[in-house]
Amino acid sequence: MKDKDEFLKTMENLQVPEINPTEHPKMVKMAIMNAERSAALGVWLVVVPCYFLLCVFMYYFSHIRVGSSWFVAMFTLMSSLDKTPYIDFLGPVIMVVLPIICIIINSLAIIHVNIQKAGQTSKVREFSVTIKIKIWNILLILLSLAIVGIFIGYVMTENISVR
Amino acid sequence: MKLNWFIRKGIIYRPASVVGWVIFTIAVVLAVYMFIDIDGRSHSVSDTMINFVFDLLLIGLIYTIIAYFTEAKQKAD
Repeated sequence: MKDKDEFLKTMENLQVPEINPTEHPKMVKMAIMNAERSAALGVWLVVVPCYFLLCVFMYYFSHIRVGSSWFVAMFTLMSSLDKTPYIDFLGPVIMVVLPIICIIINSLAIIHVNIQKAGQTSKVREFSVTIKIKIWNILLILLSLAIVGIFIGYVMTENISVR
Repeated sequence: MKLNWFIRKGIIYRPASVVGWVIFTIAVVLAVYMFIDIDGRSHSVSDTMINFVFDLLLIGLIYTIIAYFTEAKQKAD
């Protein structure tokens, strides 16, 4: 009888955890791709166009003369690449396709997208984007964007003509 | 199909099976062949190095792409 009373007393004094039903539920934000694997492949995808741009940079400073520019140096190297059979397609692939693949795989590794209702009773749907702070992936994305930007700038400079 | 041909260490993929070692050996032999070929046609050391490094990076890229799709699965983030 005494044990029963003690048990009842203990049960009555138990602290019940407070649950707030309106609190935003915690969720696991899984990315589509592995961040480390994407960064490893991304480095190799970016290093080739970086080497190409380094060659342009060296060419520009070794052949510097009045009226020459970065784009003139790049144009000279690109046109020499175009004239070489079997590798004439390599220029655009290296300068655009590889960095874009790098951007895609690294973005998929750090971005989490979710669509859900704003509240339990609300009919409004929320679209939330979460970006993980993975410094190497972000650096690779920015570097790839810079490479693509340089190439687009080169193409625009080459094709724009004043009439 | 699960392939475990390579294991990743940082940004380098190391062969982990016979097929992986065969691919790695082919890449190395191709790199050596390209170096000899470029060296035979070039006129200076810098000419050799500039062209060879570009080919070496392309070989490394293709090797890494193959290894990326055939590496042993590791734990997720």
